[in-house]
Amino acid sequence: MTENRSSKYSKRYKLSISNPKLFDAIKMIIAILIALAITFVILCLISKDPVNALKTILIGPLTKRRYIGAVIESFISFAFAGLAAGVLFKAGGFNMGAEGIYIITGALVAYIASSPFTTSPILHPILCYIGAMILGGLLMIIPSFLKAKFGTNEMVVSLMSNSIYAAVTAYIVRTYIATQQRGGVSSKDYLPTARIGYLYEPLRISACFILLMVVMVILYLVMNKTKLGYQMRLAGTNPKFAEYSGVSAFKLSITTAIIAGVLCGMGSTTQLLTQTSYYTPAQSLVGIGFSGMLLSMLGKNNPIGIVIAAFLIKYLEQGAAVLYFVDGAVPSEIVSIVEGIVIMLISSQYFLRRLRERQLLKEGLEEHAE
Amino acid sequence: MLSSIFSTLFSMKFLITIVRLATPIVFAAIGTFIAAQSGIGNIAIESIMTFAALAGVLGSYLSGSPWIGVLTGMAIGVVTVMLIAFFSMKLGANAFLIMIALNTFADSVAIFVMFLMTGEKGTTASLTTPILGSWDIPIIKDIPFIGEVFSGQLTLTYICWLIVILLFIFIYKTPTGMRLRACGLNPDAARTAGINVERLQVLSLVLSGIFAALGGVYLSLNYLKIYSRGMVSGQGWMGVSANGIAAGNYWILILSAIIFAVFRAVSIIFSSNSALPTDLVNAIPYIAVFVILTAVSIINYYRVKRGKVEEQ
Amino acid sequence: MSETILKLDNVTKVYPNGTVANRDINMEFEKGEIHSIVGENGAGKSTLMKVIFGIERPSSGTVTYKGKETNFSSSMDAIKAGIGMVHQHFMLIPSFSVVDNIILGDEPKNGIFIDKKEAARRCQELSDKYDFELDVNAKVSTLSVAKRQKVEILKTLYRNAELIILDEPTSVLTPQETDKLFDQLRFFKEQGHTILFISHKLEEVKKISDKISVIRNGVSKGTYLNEELTMQQLTNLIIGRDLDSDMDAYKTHEDFNNEKALEVRDLYMERNGKPVLDHMSFAVKKGEILGVAGVEGNGQQELVKCITGLEETAYTGDIIIEGSRVNDLKIKGRRNLGMAYIPEDRMGDGIAGELPISDNLISTYYDRDDINGKVFMNNKAIRDTAENLVKTFAVKTKTIDASVNSLSGGNIQKVVVAREYNTNSGFMIAEQPTHGIDIGSEEFVHHKLIEMRNAGAGILLVSANLTEVMALSDRIIVMFDGQIAGYFRDAKSVNESELGMYMLGAKHQTPEEIGGALND
Repeated sequence: MTENRSSKYSKRYKLSISNPKLFDAIKMIIAILIALAITFVILCLISKDPVNALKTILIGPLTKRRYIGAVIESFISFAFAGLAAGVLFKAGGFNMGAEGIYIITGALVAYIASSPFTTSPILHPILCYIGAMILGGLLMIIPSFLKAKFGTNEMVVSLMSNSIYAAVTAYIVRTYIATQQRGGVSSKDYLPTARIGYLYEPLRISACFILLMVVMVILYLVMNKTKLGYQMRLAGTNPKFAEYSGVSAFKLSITTAIIAGVLCGMGSTTQLLTQTSYYTPAQSLVGIGFSGMLLSMLGKNNPIGIVIAAFLIKYLEQGAAVLYFVDGAVPSEIVSIVEGIVIMLISSQYFLRRLRERQLLKEGLEEHAE
Repeated sequence: MLSSIFSTLFSMKFLITIVRLATPIVFAAIGTFIAAQSGIGNIAIESIMTFAALAGVLGSYLSGSPWIGVLTGMAIGVVTVMLIAFFSMKLGANAFLIMIALNTFADSVAIFVMFLMTGEKGTTASLTTPILGSWDIPIIKDIPFIGEVFSGQLTLTYICWLIVILLFIFIYKTPTGMRLRACGLNPDAARTAGINVERLQVLSLVLSGIFAALGGVYLSLNYLKIYSRGMVSGQGWMGVSANGIAAGNYWILILSAIIFAVFRAVSIIFSSNSALPTDLVNAIPYIAVFVILTAVSIINYYRVKRGKVEEQ
Repeated sequence: MSETILKLDNVTKVYPNGTVANRDINMEFEKGEIHSIVGENGAGKSTLMKVIFGIERPSSGTVTYKGKETNFSSSMDAIKAGIGMVHQHFMLIPSFSVVDNIILGDEPKNGIFIDKKEAARRCQELSDKYDFELDVNAKVSTLSVAKRQKVEILKTLYRNAELIILDEPTSVLTPQETDKLFDQLRFFKEQGHTILFISHKLEEVKKISDKISVIRNGVSKGTYLNEELTMQQLTNLIIGRDLDSDMDAYKTHEDFNNEKALEVRDLYMERNGKPVLDHMSFAVKKGEILGVAGVEGNGQQELVKCITGLEETAYTGDIIIEGSRVNDLKIKGRRNLGMAYIPEDRMGDGIAGELPISDNLISTYYDRDDINGKVFMNNKAIRDTAENLVKTFAVKTKTIDASVNSLSGGNIQKVVVAREYNTNSGFMIAEQPTHGIDIGSEEFVHHKLIEMRNAGAGILLVSANLTEVMALSDRIIVMFDGQIAGYFRDAKSVNESELGMYMLGAKHQTPEEIGGALND
């Protein structure tokens, strides 16, 4: 068994475009450039000063420290949603329940945060996290369970449950934790003990940032180095093969659903306790769960890629917000268009394929000559 | 209280509401169905409806004719599906991911366009948009009861039911329909029979896009007279669910779509009843889809287990 | 005087991934002949057929059909020109009727509608003319495999094919059905059709062909008149060396011990109210290969699914693996008892094509202690295992990091067999283990199965390839219609045509005789 490692089968890919990883990276960069070019064309149509507009989007967030701080603070919750989607997608699941789970766990967080369970400023946020993580983990199981056990279409079921959770959340907040101070449905203010402070205020770095980094590293290790990660790869690439090999699709989908739900709970708690002082169901957390799926596609289901993607997207959004401040003609939704183009291009197998094939053909012929 | 609920449920108004609410769901359902027949799971119906609803309003506003609005919506529907076809067939992308991305972007893109046109991000109410009306059918409109339900409905509702019948004939009685089904059932077999599978799949996708788009413009140009943010609110997904329940049976498809419309009608009628919690009443149609879809899959599971049918 | 109907000049096909499938192939086919093309799978036969049938374009060289250079952009063009092809995997739509399957792509019309009456009339006429005895209104899903093949042939005749390509047509037939097919092919020849017959069964090729062309490694090794060649010469041309076809040399020990690797008692399952497994009882002993013969679709797939734990439909009876009743266990539990399984659908069930070879080589024992550390998987152990297996099984690849998709069919099957071999199991199910792979790999797989048997494992061999069943098995059961129709204590004591009678249901043994399958 202890054969020498230099055996002829362990030859790795060389550093050229035929190396799949390098090729992916090149694809990503070109996709981003194309997306920016298209954005520029759109800006030419709607802005009086397109060059400056593009410049503002790209470097606007760097112009003030509080801008970059806002990016650092706000991308965390999105990154958690992306990680949740990444875990599900990686194992071949199409459970899209993150959106609803963000919203309904928000109600629980608001309830705990606005109630005097403890006076400790450390314990209070932790209680919020634990509550949201447990609830998120449990609820995410439902569509995955139905899919694994009965073959129910998890996509439709999870989307319907998103609407149901949104309705239930509105009902709960209105009935049990609402306040009369503000118009519309929103919760009471959180107690000061529940709010999360900064570790390094100028860049708005809080403990949540560290939490995200830790979670990212753990997930990376789990997905690439452990049995669970191996099972996810099998199920994600060929579910029939996974079943044949003895991977329990049922256990795996429940496990990944729980992980994803817990991540959603972390994300919603982070968002509420750092970005808001009270919970508005129709606003505070809307859209984050869905964005997670896009981040997961951008990051190719790789935890590190997802976190980077979350940061970049929030960075661009901040840039667009700065631009909107300067030039009211360009709505900040323009970032979605960049995001959309990049996603579609990088998920295209044949995009730039010719380039790679030419190289492969060359290498193949060289080998034939040998 | 109970009696008032019952009287509502058996009223004429309720029936008329159902017919009105069924239209977009039926459009969404046949849109999903026709794509599925050629072997493509079109889950972008929701986003196509959103795009078309907005495009319809803008087209109608800019041209002054609601029919041009309808055509604009249909054109956008076709553009969207062609985008999907281009990325999945020409560029080898996973069509599912492209469609998920489209659905996720639909609202933002619609808001982006709406803002450019109106300066607002909520509704197009500031635009004066000519809209489609309703049709009174001579003779039938004078028949009691039947006249009230079948006459005076919105224009696109009639078009919808006409399409339902024509589509049935197309799929099951014409050569193209048969080839299209062959593509879905065994694309290799179709290909070796000399059928251009990709072309037929694109055709079915285009039809799918047109039907979904009609569902969208119905909402913004016929049922209401504005586009408002999030107005499709899951009706596209109800069509997708109906297709899942139908398992290839056309009339079960239509029936499922109607059942979903019934639950939407219940929800709308009861949401004005202040004795009931509005938030929860709003969730009725989604709960209905959830429960029905789950129930159908559980029943199928046990049918397979008992050897009644082969697993699919 | 014979005329050339099809001519290949220097046909070369290079796939985009760099694989050279055909190189400078020159061949000539004359009108009204039965011309076989033989070669290992992966030798380039299928690619060549795809080029002729318009599915693939040649990278260089020309195809001349009836004196005109072809430039087919799809099989539609080939069909129009008069070329028909019967694919190895039937290209039929089970839920359509025979008529609908035949007319698909060229439907008689009545206005904008399909003229169903005219269609049925034409199909019936054709079926009668060629004596096919088909109910043209039946659903294809209700037909036997042999009848489905007839539908495929009718499809080509309906389109007026003059040149008919048959890709491994006998691989799914019994000897009797094969004879009948050959009679029909000779009749087609008399009618002026040209038959291009692709096969790897050399006896059959010798039996039916006028001419034989050999392809090896993508290169043509010449066209010969049938009578010019002996079997041995043909074999040498195909693989470039002598085959050692006598499996008996490997079967070293004869004494079965009576320990049972698998016991199946009174297995019964129904679907749509009809039994698909009808009270089957048999055992596989340690150190033997039990062959299961039968025409496809007589319950073999369901049997395998029940034994492996992949069946979704409920069944009754007992399945006992290595002494434990496993009815309530899923596949993992059964694997833990020592079951290994080579699946029929290797691409669908047997591999994850996008993953590297190394990941594919450990999938059924990834949780074993030697592959795992306390928390993380042992990467070095995985690589060592994979490199070893790739070496012992001679998998042709540059690196174990390459995706399985980049391998040829035979090498993919080697990966599957290597993995199952390496589970150190006492009981192996081999389902069509050599279906569609090259002779070299086939021989290799056969040797490994025998090696496992000699090491004391019990092997259940399910195969539609009678030659394989007879060469490898110690005992044989024949399945017909969900039942064991025949049981043969000594695989040497029975010949192909005898087995064929049982496979077709023409013969059926008594319950006492069949009882031996369990009790011997």
